[in-house]
Amino acid sequence: MNPPLANFSKKITGVLCGITSNGAFCVKGRYQGLQRRLLVILLLIGILPLSVMASLSFIEYRALLRDETNTNARLSAESARQTIEAYLQKLTTAIQIISDAYPFQELANQERLDKVFTKLNQDFFGVVDLSVIGPDGIQQAYSGPFNLVGKNYLTSEWYTRTLAKKMYISEVFMGYRHVPHFVIAVGKMMTEGQGHWVLRASIDTEKLDRFMSSIYSEVVTDVFLVNQSGELQNSSRHYGKVNDHFLLPDIPPMRPIRLEEKKGAGSTLFAFGHVEHTPWIVVLELQAYAGKNSWIAFKSQVLWLFGVCITLVIILAFRVARHVAMTVRSADDERNRILAQTEHTNKLASVGRLAAGVAHEINNPLAIINEKAGLMKDLLEHTNEFIYKEKFLKQLTSLQGAVDRSRTITHRLLGFARRMDVKFEPVQINDVIHEVLGFLTKEASYHNIEITEELQLDLPLVKSDRGQLQQVFLNIINNAIDAVGRDGDIKISSFLMNPNHLQVDIVDNGPGMPPEVLSKIFEPFFTTKTGKETQGTGLGLSITYGLVKKLGGEVFVDSTVGSGSTFTLVFPIIANDRGDALQ
Amino acid sequence: MNKTKVMIVDDEIEFAQPLSERLTLRNFETQTAICAEDAMTLLRTNWQPDVVVLDLRMPGLDGLDALSLFKQVDPAMEVIIVSGHGSTTVGIEGMRRGLFDYLLKPVEIDELVERIKAAAEKRALALQK
Repeated sequence: MNPPLANFSKKITGVLCGITSNGAFCVKGRYQGLQRRLLVILLLIGILPLSVMASLSFIEYRALLRDETNTNARLSAESARQTIEAYLQKLTTAIQIISDAYPFQELANQERLDKVFTKLNQDFFGVVDLSVIGPDGIQQAYSGPFNLVGKNYLTSEWYTRTLAKKMYISEVFMGYRHVPHFVIAVGKMMTEGQGHWVLRASIDTEKLDRFMSSIYSEVVTDVFLVNQSGELQNSSRHYGKVNDHFLLPDIPPMRPIRLEEKKGAGSTLFAFGHVEHTPWIVVLELQAYAGKNSWIAFKSQVLWLFGVCITLVIILAFRVARHVAMTVRSADDERNRILAQTEHTNKLASVGRLAAGVAHEINNPLAIINEKAGLMKDLLEHTNEFIYKEKFLKQLTSLQGAVDRSRTITHRLLGFARRMDVKFEPVQINDVIHEVLGFLTKEASYHNIEITEELQLDLPLVKSDRGQLQQVFLNIINNAIDAVGRDGDIKISSFLMNPNHLQVDIVDNGPGMPPEVLSKIFEPFFTTKTGKETQGTGLGLSITYGLVKKLGGEVFVDSTVGSGSTFTLVFPIIANDRGDALQ
Repeated sequence: MNKTKVMIVDDEIEFAQPLSERLTLRNFETQTAICAEDAMTLLRTNWQPDVVVLDLRMPGLDGLDALSLFKQVDPAMEVIIVSGHGSTTVGIEGMRRGLFDYLLKPVEIDELVERIKAAAEKRALALQK
């Protein structure tokens, strides 16, 4: 929209706002509420699927990572168990072969035993000693770093169990040497059938530690053996030394590897597996999925991406909500403006109909008064002089003057209400202005008012009613002359406002009007001309407004107290059907 | 010279009577009627008006119908409607039926006299033809 027109449009909207309502539609909060609701809906639409997607990705990836970690943990635990079992199996087999190959008497020979021990020690690292215990439980021969010959093991648990099972691998214990070790013992029946003798090998747990250390990896942070009651069978990185207690969960005595996740800051996974033919449980401590770099990286990426998306959604939702609220608001403003204009037009029409009715009814009694006063005056004029004759004549003249004034009002009212046919024809608006000025220039010069014209020469023709256009310009320029009073200027300019409209400005440097007057200027019966000579009916500008609307145009007024007023008329170059529709 | 005869047809006797007297003072010969039927009674006498000053809204026939009736009786008779109920449509319809002029109440006596004279001249010319 053209800036001046927009400015005027704003003003007229303000005027109409004042006319039509108590400000009910000027509610800023209503649009803020709409904006808030839209924002919430858009945020829900944007954030909800995003959150669901992020959560699903999160859950899926976690499950995948957890499965992978668990599988790896099982594999590592199984590998560790098999390594230990293989070592023990070989050692046990070797001891059994020795016990089968040599009879008790031969092995009880110290020299023979030393030879066998030397050979065994060469093949199996970690074997500390080898001893032969007779059927009476007393050690008959011993090959190793200590002198344990003659020791009685009859009441020892390992001895009892060996006799019961014929082959026994003990838990780790300190023994007479006070060194952590375990034994592998094989029970054999005496050739004479008098009880059992036992061949026993002691193995330091150092050997176990070496096995365990080979299992450590990036994800396996600790490996150790515990017995069924949780006592450590070798050294652990994190849970202490031999015989220290490890809080063991309930592990059923079954072959499959059992996994337990310890939640918390460390996020640790434990794998447990029974070692066959031993009282041991191998325990692996692994890094759980939650502690893995890939999971931490994934989490931070998802969170970062989610944050960026949420920020974008918030920005977009805010902008869209604001835009929609603004659009609704401007649409409402436009609708209210049109409603206000329609109301204003209807008001004018109602007032017009009322005015016509009143004028008709008043005209008849006015005519009676006029005729009776006229007759009295006529008769007096044909009567001889008498004392009050002049006074009567003066009173009757005054009475007729009052009737004349009333008649002027009623006739204008009828002119205001009258729906004359509009005859549209091509009209050069500058010619109409010239014709009107032809009537008014003399009047203006009499009041020492200078009228200047700035009319664009090549203006296109408008399709309008010449007579009614004359009436419009006559009313407005007459008003300007009345407003200026004496010694002032009136400037009339015409120009092409846009390809479809032309504009005529009538600017005076009169006293101007305050906003409260400006808001009522097109109201019927509103007048500021209260002087005796210049008294107005308050219909001139109402009629002008109606005529301009009928011709499909717009009229705006802008005024500043002390500076003057500007009437702006906008006419369509090609008249639409509006003028016809209003007839 | 014969005086111009003017018949005032108006149900508002308070208006018709003083107007009649004022026109008489201005050298017109006048008669008044309060409705179209009353006027027709008058026309059936020997007194034939040159000009009729006719109201629009009256009991019985309205002004436009009365105009048509008068024109049937005497096509040369000129009629001026003087009414408080101004309307372009009525004016145009009246002209179509042979109305001479249409004035809005209250009317200036000088203006009315001028229009009556003009109407009388027109009638005189018509009668000469």
